[in-house]
Amino acid sequence: MIVVGGLKFGAIYSLAALGIVVIHKATRIVNFAHGAFVLAGAYATYGIVEGMGLGYWPAYLLVPVVTGLLAAAVELVILRPIRQSDMFALITSTIFIGIGLSEVYRLVQNTEMLGVPNPFPGRPIFIGDIIITKEQIWVFAGAILSSLIGLAIFGYARLGRGLRAMAANVRGAVLCGYSTDSMNALAWFLGGALAGLAGVFAAPSKGISPELSISMVTAGFVAAAIGGFDSLRGALFGGLILGLAETFAAAYVSSAMTNAISFLLLFMVLLWRPEGLFPEAKIRDV
Amino acid sequence: MFNKRWRALAGSLAPSAAVLAVAVLGLALDTYWQYVLAISISAAATGGALAMLVSYARCITIATGAMLAIGAYGAAIPVVLAGVPFGAALVFATALGALAGFILAIPGVRFRSHNLAMVTLVFQSVVIIVLRESKALTGGAEGIHVPPPVIFGISFADDAYFLLLCGLLCALAVLPIAILLAGPFGKNLRALASNENTARAFGINVRHHLIAAFTFSSALIAFAGAVSAPRFRIIDPDSYGVLTSIFTLAYPIIGGMGSIWGGILGGGVLRVLPELLRPLADYIELIFCVLVVGTLTFFPEGLASAFWTRRRRNRTATASPASAREWQAARIGGSVSEAETVTAAEDQASGRPMLELHDISKAFGALRAVNGVSLTVAPRSLHGLMGPNGAGKTTLFNIVSGFIPPDSGRVLISGISLDKVPIERRIGLGMSRTFQHAAVFRRLSCLDNVMIGLGRNSVLQGAIRSLAAALDTEEIRAERYAALLALEAVGLGARAQDPAGTLSLGDQRRLEIARAIVSRPRIILLDEPVSGVSAEEAQRLRELLIMINRELGITMVVIEHNIGFLVSLCQRISVMTEGHILAEGDAAAMVSDPRVRLAYFGEREAAE
Repeated sequence: MIVVGGLKFGAIYSLAALGIVVIHKATRIVNFAHGAFVLAGAYATYGIVEGMGLGYWPAYLLVPVVTGLLAAAVELVILRPIRQSDMFALITSTIFIGIGLSEVYRLVQNTEMLGVPNPFPGRPIFIGDIIITKEQIWVFAGAILSSLIGLAIFGYARLGRGLRAMAANVRGAVLCGYSTDSMNALAWFLGGALAGLAGVFAAPSKGISPELSISMVTAGFVAAAIGGFDSLRGALFGGLILGLAETFAAAYVSSAMTNAISFLLLFMVLLWRPEGLFPEAKIRDV
Repeated sequence: MFNKRWRALAGSLAPSAAVLAVAVLGLALDTYWQYVLAISISAAATGGALAMLVSYARCITIATGAMLAIGAYGAAIPVVLAGVPFGAALVFATALGALAGFILAIPGVRFRSHNLAMVTLVFQSVVIIVLRESKALTGGAEGIHVPPPVIFGISFADDAYFLLLCGLLCALAVLPIAILLAGPFGKNLRALASNENTARAFGINVRHHLIAAFTFSSALIAFAGAVSAPRFRIIDPDSYGVLTSIFTLAYPIIGGMGSIWGGILGGGVLRVLPELLRPLADYIELIFCVLVVGTLTFFPEGLASAFWTRRRRNRTATASPASAREWQAARIGGSVSEAETVTAAEDQASGRPMLELHDISKAFGALRAVNGVSLTVAPRSLHGLMGPNGAGKTTLFNIVSGFIPPDSGRVLISGISLDKVPIERRIGLGMSRTFQHAAVFRRLSCLDNVMIGLGRNSVLQGAIRSLAAALDTEEIRAERYAALLALEAVGLGARAQDPAGTLSLGDQRRLEIARAIVSRPRIILLDEPVSGVSAEEAQRLRELLIMINRELGITMVVIEHNIGFLVSLCQRISVMTEGHILAEGDAAAMVSDPRVRLAYFGEREAAE
């Protein structure tokens, strides 16, 4: 039971982490506004499911597009003009973009916490003593499936080749005719879309509030760090590991421990394996 | 002279004076404003502390809220639970803040940018969790009541008294940070933020500096937290949360990253902005975010800094003509002291080689970049190192200057082994270098670049020299004079105050040479000193290098692809190819050596 719950949240973290990794691979920026994109996705889900009463299926299709466009707009309008600055300026910008977006949400929607209904309210399934809700199965399967689609796009599709070229060598990619501008916007679109999907899956169980933004960026960061920020597979497993660790800590120690356990994981990874548990072959500049 | 001396001191005292002046002026206002100003002043101190970490060292820290909380609780708990006097509790809280900063920095400074931000965020969250859970000490989530400070039996409960006390304490606390930042310590932080490797080559220990910056600034932040806590009457963990940390990060950024003033102004104004703009109070956080992103986009150096640099340039423009004539009279060797000339002569008389490499090897994976290189460079000589791309020349330089540990082999300078000597210490043994890609500290002035080249850059030396700079002592003036002479020697005397980033590439190479010679090293490693500059400029640089070699007796090892330049500069040349020394001998002989021609031009031409 714990394993199933852990895997459900883990799959959501994986989605969030994948978006961070995709953006980092292509543009070298670790996006601290990622949690806000997840929040935007969750809020858009609320709008579609509750506001317009369209149900979940349109949400799964529309939300990624909306958040993807939001992320691409952030890249185009705010980050592009300062791309020549150092990491300090870029990362600080994403921190404040994230807080700013959460603030916009707080101003628009002046409630503490919004909820959306469970997409699969049906009776849980019993396997012996184990109770599994359909929602858990759906979220886990859906999130993992979305992650795999993201992986496939990055790995095989033609646009993915450009992104990977940028990740390996920006100058070389530009010389081969890939445009930095469109590739960066594309990476942010893809990353934002993954964040939006994480928002759709997270909304029913985590609720919608600015809190979601901070908890998701932290979880996504930890999961991405487990993969060393550059490995997509690493982020996928990192999310699942984090989800399991958190749920076990909450069940066997105390609920205050869920944060502590993710920080502990982060510390262990950063101190002992700063290149992540799933390092990709890298050529060091000499 | 007195006037000039006074100006240096006034520059360091000004932030404190401003803080105090605000407090005194506030006495004329009503109690509400006195309350607002007291909070503003303590936030100004926080901003000043963040200037060190954020503006100078360019670290993203999200632990400020935790540091404020450590100060606030660290001072309040001894007062409330043990009846400790306020003064002692304040000292304790500050020390606790310093300790916390140190503990955070030990693992923290192994990382940069996003990972460092994340480590500080973890620290922040852990501190808040601990405060919330240790209910016996901290009152948990409800917080604790903080009584007004009592010093020598006088209670500072009254708003006017409190404001005055707050102003005095914060003025005192800001002073050391202002002195450190205005002097060499601050310049070293800027240098390592702009180029870590170059900073290390000139003796700046990056780790030590960042740890010191975290410790100093955390101490001051905790101090500010302790001073302001009585004004809030009740302190609870929520007032010191992640959002507090993030919004304090905005202080120095919006205020301007150019000097401590940005942090002080940013903190003083932004902290009380919600009070000043009551009708907009709901939107204040959003306004903060827009301001930060806008500042980073449109004024990456900060508003204040743009203003300061323009003023400074005007001042030197009027000052330089008279002094330039004075410097021109001084010969380049003029400032070499007796003792130093003797060392150079001794080196030569002893017959010891200046630089010895014994069987150096280094492999990167399967690639043997340097493979059993032995090399001897005579004192006061000009030794050239040439070879096709990828021959291992720069790797060899990086081994000699300490950036890359060799797999095997030994490096000796004047007979002293460098095996256990870290990069930062090598400049102290008389070794200096320039870089393949001109690596000046772009944000610093040319003069500051050269002063860093003196190599007196340990944290302790930086702190002492900062104090000396504030008092404008004889030693610091002698240093400045030596740096100006070096700049004059390379022909950049008139541009001493200009940011190094504004120089042309040729001038940046000259600046690198000035920075390399100012410490009067025994040996300089020059990595492609004329790549990318025009033929005439290369000619002038050649004359400059020959003059430095003759007049100062400095040994030089030069890597260069411009063979004409190398042959006309150097007496001896070693030719490297595929990681080993192919041939060594007289410059002219090397160029016609058939083995060398083979390495460069391939078989057919060599056969002709």
